[in-house]
Amino acid sequence: MDEKESLTTENSCGGSADMCSHPTPPAPKPAAAPTTSAATAAAAPAELHACMGLNACKGHDRFGTNSCAGTGYCATAERHNCKSLNNCRGQGGCGLYGTAEDDATPGANECAWQGSCAVPIQAERYSTQGENKGKSVWVLARKLFEERMKKANRTYGPSPYECGPPQAWLVQSLGSYDSCGSAGNKYCTFGFNDPAKDAKELCERSLHHVICGSARQTESASAATEVSCKGSPQAEVSCKGSPQEA
Amino acid sequence: MELTKFFKDQTEVTPENLGEAIQQAIEIEIATIPVYLYTYYSINRVPNQDAISGGLVQQLTSKGTPLAEANKIALDLSAEIMVYANKAGANIMSVVMEEMLHMALSSNLKQALVGPPSLTGRSPAGYPTMLPGHQPEFSIDLAPLSLNQLMTFLKIESPKPLPEAPELLKAIPYTTIGEFYGMIKSCIDSNDLTYDTSRPQLTPGNRYYAPNMIDTVYYDKQHRPRYVDADDSGDLVHVVDRASADKAITQIVEQGEGNVDAGFNPDGSVNCERPPKQDYDDPMDRELSHFEKFAEIYCRYNELSKLFQSYGLDGDIGKYFIVNFPTNPSTAKYPDAVGYPPGTLQAVSTLLNAVYTYIFVMTEGCYRHSKGNTQYEIFMFGIHKSMIFILNSICGDIQSLSYFLNGQYYTAAPTFENYPFGLLSSPKSQLVQLYNNAVALFPTISYLGQRINDLPDVPLN
Repeated sequence: MDEKESLTTENSCGGSADMCSHPTPPAPKPAAAPTTSAATAAAAPAELHACMGLNACKGHDRFGTNSCAGTGYCATAERHNCKSLNNCRGQGGCGLYGTAEDDATPGANECAWQGSCAVPIQAERYSTQGENKGKSVWVLARKLFEERMKKANRTYGPSPYECGPPQAWLVQSLGSYDSCGSAGNKYCTFGFNDPAKDAKELCERSLHHVICGSARQTESASAATEVSCKGSPQAEVSCKGSPQEA
Repeated sequence: MELTKFFKDQTEVTPENLGEAIQQAIEIEIATIPVYLYTYYSINRVPNQDAISGGLVQQLTSKGTPLAEANKIALDLSAEIMVYANKAGANIMSVVMEEMLHMALSSNLKQALVGPPSLTGRSPAGYPTMLPGHQPEFSIDLAPLSLNQLMTFLKIESPKPLPEAPELLKAIPYTTIGEFYGMIKSCIDSNDLTYDTSRPQLTPGNRYYAPNMIDTVYYDKQHRPRYVDADDSGDLVHVVDRASADKAITQIVEQGEGNVDAGFNPDGSVNCERPPKQDYDDPMDRELSHFEKFAEIYCRYNELSKLFQSYGLDGDIGKYFIVNFPTNPSTAKYPDAVGYPPGTLQAVSTLLNAVYTYIFVMTEGCYRHSKGNTQYEIFMFGIHKSMIFILNSICGDIQSLSYFLNGQYYTAAPTFENYPFGLLSSPKSQLVQLYNNAVALFPTISYLGQRINDLPDVPLN
C-alpha cells in the first residue's frame, strides 16, 4: 500500500490517513523520564524498533504520541551504543561494525546481540561495508521498513526527519547520545568543511542510491528528490576534544 | 623472552615437523597482536583541536607571527594533527585485525593438516620480546607510538631480510615472515599430505570477518571518511586441500609484507620517496600492505615534524596526541594508582589480562565445535563481544588510572599478559571473580558486569 492510497484508508493502528499525510514537524523533544519496566509491561506492548520513522503503529514511538506508522520520533528498542548490545530481533542499529551482511539489515537483524551498532541511528551514520558503504544507515533502515510495511499491506507516513534524526537533535532530545567507534564524531569539522552541508550531501546521496543493483529507485527516494533534506542539525556540535568513544 | 625451541638441528620444514612449524607461525602472528594493540591504545585518535590550535597560536605570536597569520597556521597544523592521529590509529587497527585473521588462517592450516592450534597462553611471556625464530633477532617493546616503535613494526613486516648479522638459532630460522611461510608452503606443495576436513575451522561465510569497520576509518582534512581497508583484501579460507592451503598462506604474506621489491633501503632506513606504484595487498590495488601502511605513518610523522619546525615550532608532534604510556609495563611491577585504594591498578590490569587470555580460550573452543550453532555463538557472542565491548572498554578505562614512578607520572596501560587460569573452576567463573575484585575497587567498570556474565562458558582445552 503506498502513501497515496493511505489518503483514503484508515490506518489499522488507529491513525487516520490525514494524520499520516501531515506528520508533526520535526522538533527536539525534551529528554523523557526513564520508563520503568513495570510501567512498560502494564501498557500495551509497543513493537520494538531501532529508530525514528521505523515504527509500525500509531503510538509506538518512544513518547507514544505518533499518529501513524512510520512517523514516530524515537526508538522503542532499548538504547545501546554499539554492536552486539541489542536485546532482541530488529533492535540492532548497524552500520559501523559488522560484516557487509550485517550492514545490509539495520533495524532488521535476526536475533538478540546480532545488531551491529547503536540505537537510535543518527542521520550522520554511514555504512562501512557492502552495497551501502559510505551511505546513510538510517535511509537504508527506512527503506527496509517501508518494504516491510508494503509487504504487510500497511499504511505509513513520512518520518519527522527525512533522513533520520540528526545527532544534535538526539543529544537535545535524549540528554546524551553516543555511538560506537574510535574514529570520532561523524558530524564534525576540522575547520575546512561545512558539516551541515556534508550531512545534507550524505542524505541526498543515500536517498538516490540504488541498493542491490536494482534499476528502480524506491518510492520514497523518488519522492524525496523534490524536497531538500531536512535532516541538517541546527545545533553546533563540537568534535574537538571529544573523549574516545567506547 | 624465553623462546620456544621447536627444532634442535633442523632448519627445514618437513612433513614430520610441519605441525611444529605451523604452530611457530601461529605464535609469530600472536606475538604481533599485543604489541600493535598497545601502540594503538597509546594514540588519542580524537585529540582536542582547540587546545592544540590555541597553544600553537601562543607559540607563533610569541615568535612575532601576526595574530591573523598565526591563527591560520595553527588551524592548518592542528587539522593535520587531527587527521594524522586518527589515520595512524586506523592503520594500526587495520593491521591488528588482519593479524587476527592471519592467526585464524594459520590455525585453519594446522587444524587441517595436524590438529588443533594452541593459542591460550601463547602470547609473549614478557617484554621486550622477539619474534620466534626471526634472524636476526631484534627487540620488540610494548611501547607508545614513536618513530622507534614504527621502525620496530617495519622490521616485523619487512619483506626483505634485515641487514644485521644472524645470531643463535632457537627456533626454525627465517629472515622474513614471508620466507618462513614460504618454507611451509614448499613443504605443502612438495608432499602429498592428508587434509582432515572433518575438524572444525573458522570458515568464510559466517560473518566472522569483515575487513572494514568504524575503527579502520579516519577523516581527511575536509572530514570525509576514508577507509583504510579494501573490501577485497582478504577473508578466512577453509583449508581442505593444497590449493586452499596455498591460498591461505599467500594471503597472509601479501597482506603482511606484500611485494618483496618493497622494504627498507639498503642502509636500513625507510624509503619515504613515494614509489611509482605502492605495494597493495588486494586485487583492486586499494589497500596497502602492512609494511607500506607503517611506512606511510612513519614518513608522515617525519613530514609533519619538519612542517612544524619550518614555522619555528617544536617538531615533537607526538605530544599532541600520544598518551603518556610506560614502556614494557607488567601488572606485577605496577605501583599503586594515584588516588585509588592499594591494589586497584593491579586488580583492573589482572582483569584485563584475563579477558585478553579468555579470548584465546574461546578461539580454541571454536576449533573444537563444528556441529550446531556452538561455534557461531562462541565467536559472535564471546570473542566478538569480548574484543569490542569488554577488552576495548577496559583498555580505555584503565587509562583513567595513573601512577608515579621514578620521578614522573604515567598513564596506566594494558599489559596484555597471559593470565594463568586455574583448573579447579571454569575460566569464566574466574573471570567473573576477577571482575568482582576489580569493580569493588574501581566502580568505573561496573557497566561491564552484565557483559561479562553474558559471555559463553568455554572450558580450557
